[in-house]
Amino acid sequence: MKLAQLAHPRQDYSYGFLDEFGKRELRRRMLKAVAIPGHQVPYASRELPIARGWGTGGLQVTLSLVGPGDTVKVIDQGADDSVNAANLRRFIARMTGVSTTADTLAATVIQSRHRVPEERLREGQALVLQVPDPEPLRRVQPDSSKALEMHADADYAQMWLSLYEQLVRFGRFVQGASYPVLVHGRYLMSPSPIPRWDTPDLHQAAHLTLLSAGREKRLYAVPPYTDVRPIEFEDVFFQVEQMVGRVCAVTGARNKFMDALPLAGGGSIFRISDTGYVAKLLDAARGKPATIGPTYYDDEGRFFQPGVLRDEGQARNGR
Amino acid sequence: MAYVAARGGEQAILRAEALHGRLRAPLSAAIVRQIEAHLPYLVDRVMGEGSLYAPELAALALAQSGGDLYEAVLLLRAYRSTQPRIAYAEPVGQEQLHTLRRISAAFKDIPGGQILGPTLDYSHRLLRLDLLDGLGGPEHGGAPSSSTDGAVTPAELPQTPPGPSSPLPAVADWQRASGLLATLPDAPAPDPAELPDVTRDPVHFPAPRAHRLQSLARADTGGALALGYASMRGYGLAHPTVNELRLAHADVLLRHPITGATFSAGRVRVSQCEVVNTSAVELRLGYAATLGWNEVKVIAAAMLDLEMDAPTPHPAHREEFVLYHTEPVESSGFCIHYKLPHYVTFQSGLDALRAVRAEGSEGSVQAQSGAEEQA
Amino acid sequence: MSPAETRQHATFTALLWALSYPGRPQRLPAGGRAAFAAIAEALLDLETGAFSPDAEFAALIARSGARLLPPQRAPYHFYPAPEADSLESIAAAPVGSYTEPELGATLVLSCHLGGPATLTLRGPGIAGSVRLRVGGLPEDLWLLRAERTRFPLGWDLLLIDGAEVVGLPRSTAVEVG
Repeated sequence: MKLAQLAHPRQDYSYGFLDEFGKRELRRRMLKAVAIPGHQVPYASRELPIARGWGTGGLQVTLSLVGPGDTVKVIDQGADDSVNAANLRRFIARMTGVSTTADTLAATVIQSRHRVPEERLREGQALVLQVPDPEPLRRVQPDSSKALEMHADADYAQMWLSLYEQLVRFGRFVQGASYPVLVHGRYLMSPSPIPRWDTPDLHQAAHLTLLSAGREKRLYAVPPYTDVRPIEFEDVFFQVEQMVGRVCAVTGARNKFMDALPLAGGGSIFRISDTGYVAKLLDAARGKPATIGPTYYDDEGRFFQPGVLRDEGQARNGR
Repeated sequence: MAYVAARGGEQAILRAEALHGRLRAPLSAAIVRQIEAHLPYLVDRVMGEGSLYAPELAALALAQSGGDLYEAVLLLRAYRSTQPRIAYAEPVGQEQLHTLRRISAAFKDIPGGQILGPTLDYSHRLLRLDLLDGLGGPEHGGAPSSSTDGAVTPAELPQTPPGPSSPLPAVADWQRASGLLATLPDAPAPDPAELPDVTRDPVHFPAPRAHRLQSLARADTGGALALGYASMRGYGLAHPTVNELRLAHADVLLRHPITGATFSAGRVRVSQCEVVNTSAVELRLGYAATLGWNEVKVIAAAMLDLEMDAPTPHPAHREEFVLYHTEPVESSGFCIHYKLPHYVTFQSGLDALRAVRAEGSEGSVQAQSGAEEQA
Repeated sequence: MSPAETRQHATFTALLWALSYPGRPQRLPAGGRAAFAAIAEALLDLETGAFSPDAEFAALIARSGARLLPPQRAPYHFYPAPEADSLESIAAAPVGSYTEPELGATLVLSCHLGGPATLTLRGPGIAGSVRLRVGGLPEDLWLLRAERTRFPLGWDLLLIDGAEVVGLPRSTAVEVG
């Protein structure tokens, strides 16, 4: 008898691409991540047929999370129809047979790069965020072993110092996206490069957020109803991006996160970044049936949970 | 075609892939077999970096990617992700290798002898333009092979029989016996199932020895060379000599689940290199091994192994720096990911920058999201 | 999806939501001892290890390829029929370290939901507080848990009654009464 006869024949890919061992390993880690909100859990992070750095972390979580009954939405920069989002959605559907949607309300699992949808997520929905760099301390401590020690000791003094230095030099916080947050009062966490506009969406949310960095091999979670606070001072507050005065050129809507599109002659026009939401606004405007969910920010720019954005008044009325 | 705003992005993807395919000759099983037969060193490089020994699949990956090495390595690694782990192989000692080439730069002659083996080291690097004109003589010098297509199969190559009384002991063993190198701790061979595994656990630093050697075995050849070369040119602290370089076949030894007997499930090409640091009061060893025959990689990696153990290595030779930045799939993937749209994070950075300017502080703020957090 | 994959997926999602919304029962694809077997099937293989004082269940774990480990080294503990002396091995279960809190164990115990003891739960996954009635667990389990849990250190509990599972991650503050 030859060894080749004992080995199993070359076969098609498993459900969800990953073999059973790979899925089990991810599942074990995901459960631990949920049990320890904000803590980065190391995982094997197997290679996928998508280049590393292109969402393979989020993809591994999604592939081991979904079943045939799920409906998946994939966005990149808020857009369902960008080539990268389309490609990831195509891969997930091909490997799992899930149905796909652009409607945030219809999705059970939403995989996203750099955005949280404008419509509020609800209980039982999972938001999977792709993470390039899971380490919020990288800027103040590039050595990952030392950063691990700092998390172990909840020693975030260097981070506060860097925040203070920003104030002294620039008169305000200069962090753009990936604004660091404190989760459950314990772990400093990178919310992934979502704009600051989306950061408060994670605080005491009804849905589950899973964050996964494929290259860096770390995954972490924000369970539902968990405190997620951007770091700020008692007298100098965290601020979201300025959307005042921006009107969406497609829908005429205001106070949603806008993409700026430069015009040839100078200046910009604006368009709501969440394309699934735009599609529904357009349907409604044309008299077609569309169910539009409540949004995180209302038309006046007020965040739905009062008191979460301490700088809210300032953000709405201009600085 | 505008790539961000591409409506119906799926159509665009399919057409772009089809266009890419049309710009090279069509694929076939015969082409894959030819790549495997004609380009064994390229196949070896892909298998080593892909950390999957499967010459046929590596050749297929090369054909499919049109020879784009990083794409080929990714194809192989992604296939590897789908393969369950069914067993742990037994450790293979140097004395068990079927060695074809083995040289030492440290001694004129060594126990067991220097074996030049297959190499282009001393060839004149002249393009065989005569081949293009169809005028070339027999390809394999004067020694015609018995196989029909002219290539030599591994089984036909002269090999030194392995065994406990092997005539090819490791040079390091002689140095240990002579008191030049620290002796190995008298520990039993580890249980392979208990070894730290870089494909299962992320690396923490200082890395377990197993993680370091596995990472070097999977490392990008070019990346290992660049950092290793920096060491060789003088940025490093080590002054290494190649103690021994080997190309060999190794048996993949499995234990029978019922009888417990060890048997060989097949042979794989392996290369390994030992370097010694001669500048210290005591010799120190650097080591690297990989699947496939890739001499540049194992020499550079063995030097990096030595360099990473220096008391205060150059920043580019610190363990974390070397192991993270020579990962071929992660580094190449992250490099090309900068082609993805980043306009949301860019907006967010611009917002911070404008706010600072509006407050009339220093005008030269580099919005931090712009610089490092965009991905 | 093969039947085994379907079962493992259903089990995993039940556990994920059980830990995401502590105190809220989720439905497993099997009940009783089969629920324990389903959890073992979904989480264990030769890359991890487990402990069970139940000889029959330990044999099932071994068949999954997972290593049988002493309680102080086992990342997964299974108690299909917990008794008073179960507390000894539960007390030995790893709680993780400050650099690797994820090494804290997962304990799977059978219980009676709706039992006599009432717990008040607070913490991540719970909007405000929630009450859980549970019995059939070793006496002093909650005392021991309070002693061993120092967030982020601690174990994560999965309480099984029939085909229902309730999750109590280490992040949950438990108040008896």
